[in-house]
Amino acid sequence: MTDARRRRTGEALGFWLLLAPSLLLLVLVFARTVAGVVRMSFNGWTPPSFYVEDVVLDHYVRLATDPLIREAAFNTVVLAFQAALTSVVLAYVMTLIVWLRPKRFRLTVIGLMLCPLLASEISIIFGWWLVLPRNGLLSYMLVGSGLVSEKINLLYTEFAAFLGLVYAILPYSFFILLSVMDRQDRLLIEASADLGASPLSTFREVVLPLTWRGVVLAFSQALIWAFGIYATPSALGPDTLWTMGQRIQEEMIGRANWPLASAIAVAMIAAIALLLVVMRTVEPKERTA
Amino acid sequence: MSESILELERVRLQYGPVVAVDDVTVAVGRGEFVTLLGPSGSGKTSTLRLVGGFEHPTGGVIRIAGRPVNGLPANRRDTATIFQSGALFPHKTVAENIAYGLRMRRVPAAEIARRVAEMLEIVALPGFEHRYPAEMSGGQRQRVALARSLVVRPSLLLFDEPLSALDLALKLQLRAEIKRLHAELGFSAVFVTHDQGEALSLSDRVAVMQKGRIEQIDRPDTLYNRPASEFVYTFMGESNRLDVTVGGGAIRDLQGHLLPLTLEDGLAEGAWRLYLRPSRLHLSEHEPVRSNALRCTVSMVEFLGDHFRYHLACHGLRLMCDVSAKLGLSEGSDVIASWDGADMRAYR
Repeated sequence: MTDARRRRTGEALGFWLLLAPSLLLLVLVFARTVAGVVRMSFNGWTPPSFYVEDVVLDHYVRLATDPLIREAAFNTVVLAFQAALTSVVLAYVMTLIVWLRPKRFRLTVIGLMLCPLLASEISIIFGWWLVLPRNGLLSYMLVGSGLVSEKINLLYTEFAAFLGLVYAILPYSFFILLSVMDRQDRLLIEASADLGASPLSTFREVVLPLTWRGVVLAFSQALIWAFGIYATPSALGPDTLWTMGQRIQEEMIGRANWPLASAIAVAMIAAIALLLVVMRTVEPKERTA
Repeated sequence: MSESILELERVRLQYGPVVAVDDVTVAVGRGEFVTLLGPSGSGKTSTLRLVGGFEHPTGGVIRIAGRPVNGLPANRRDTATIFQSGALFPHKTVAENIAYGLRMRRVPAAEIARRVAEMLEIVALPGFEHRYPAEMSGGQRQRVALARSLVVRPSLLLFDEPLSALDLALKLQLRAEIKRLHAELGFSAVFVTHDQGEALSLSDRVAVMQKGRIEQIDRPDTLYNRPASEFVYTFMGESNRLDVTVGGGAIRDLQGHLLPLTLEDGLAEGAWRLYLRPSRLHLSEHEPVRSNALRCTVSMVEFLGDHFRYHLACHGLRLMCDVSAKLGLSEGSDVIASWDGADMRAYR
């Protein structure tokens, strides 16, 4: 065995040794659990038992045909897309400001963006309960500022569910976009202007293409978060707004139909996996000077 | 007046208490190549950025082609900048980079293609149209940057230390290329550098800047041979410095040793700093070959490729002397260093 080959083998061994603990944890905690959920989704269901050992496709057939599940899927996808899109647009504007403005803005905005990550989802929901109802903070502020004449209730509306989701996923979009934008050379903006480009042309020709990769990454991450968040839309939205997360809870706890709940979960995991594959292929390559 | 492409009149740039550019007045003629030379923090880059429209003056007037441009943003000025890093668009090919300024000026596509191809010939990069900047060397990227600015035929080209990031061989090669292009195309240019060699070789005139002001602006040979100030003299090249006192018709070093020196003009009584370029000293073993002479000891010999540098000591004074051929002198040898009085400059 030559020295170079021995060294390569050594490097490969070191790589796997270093990876081993986290890989082991991932297999034990995550892969095993997902495998369990997949297995459960093929079991039969005869009330009052939670499930019966079997291999059937009943629950997947229901998944495709049950109008309640279809409605929940539709709601989840629409809500997640709206929230992800809104969060990426807001985050893009904010990162652009942080990127272009002096340093002192940077720390302030980064600090503000960290806030939602420091509190738990449940305490943030309690916060919304103080802000959104008829006698809440927002209503008082709107009436006080003269924007509306009567107190308004926003709690338990689709808008509240959307707002809560956007708030929850905004930090992820922001930090992903910031990391991509920080790697760009600000001098390129000056070079573009120097060659006669208006600020709008510079944005279209230089800034957006260079940060497009960040937009795609941030959008797919935001979408995955928005897809999976369960408590926020169910606590802030109206009773009529069913999401997939709520559907799983209902089947699992309300109706004790574990195989169906598992089938819904598997469908969601598959949808996210598919989304990641699609995003990978549309994700532009990065070119660095 | 109309002969000047660029005029700066008492231009000032101040950030709070910091004065970056302090009442700079200068004019650049059509087709002229003017260099702003100075150490970092001297205000040369700030002055260039004011002309390019990246900063706006807090006082004074800037005119390009006779038209005041104060407050006009960079994209509406007829200038083009070559940045130190090149600042090429990494997501665009060489051809797209060069075409950028023309597209922004809404030049028809056919003409863009023609002018881009022509430019690639001029900067000696034909066949590189479809490369990306990441696939090119630093020198090639800087040629593309040059082409990208030249192709829009600006009234004025601005060079912001374009050669500083390159290694020596490439720097000299590209420097010669810029000189050739200037001779061929006759563009007007303001070139910023801290390298006096670049300034002297490229420029029609050089402005030496310090602390936001222009110390002297002159043709390169005048600047080198007749510097207006001690700063200009020391910045234009390496020098020996002799701290002396003049009293009772005699020149002494700070320890009181008598120095048998004669200058062209006599010196008034007091403390003086005398300067002398290392290349102007002559070494001899027995008899001085020039009018001013000091008996020294060799303290160190350095080999610097194309010449040798002798470090000499004479009482408390230290002298450097550059000679092209190695002399039979080793460390500790006695030697006579001599020079013409006219090669010495005195400042107090």
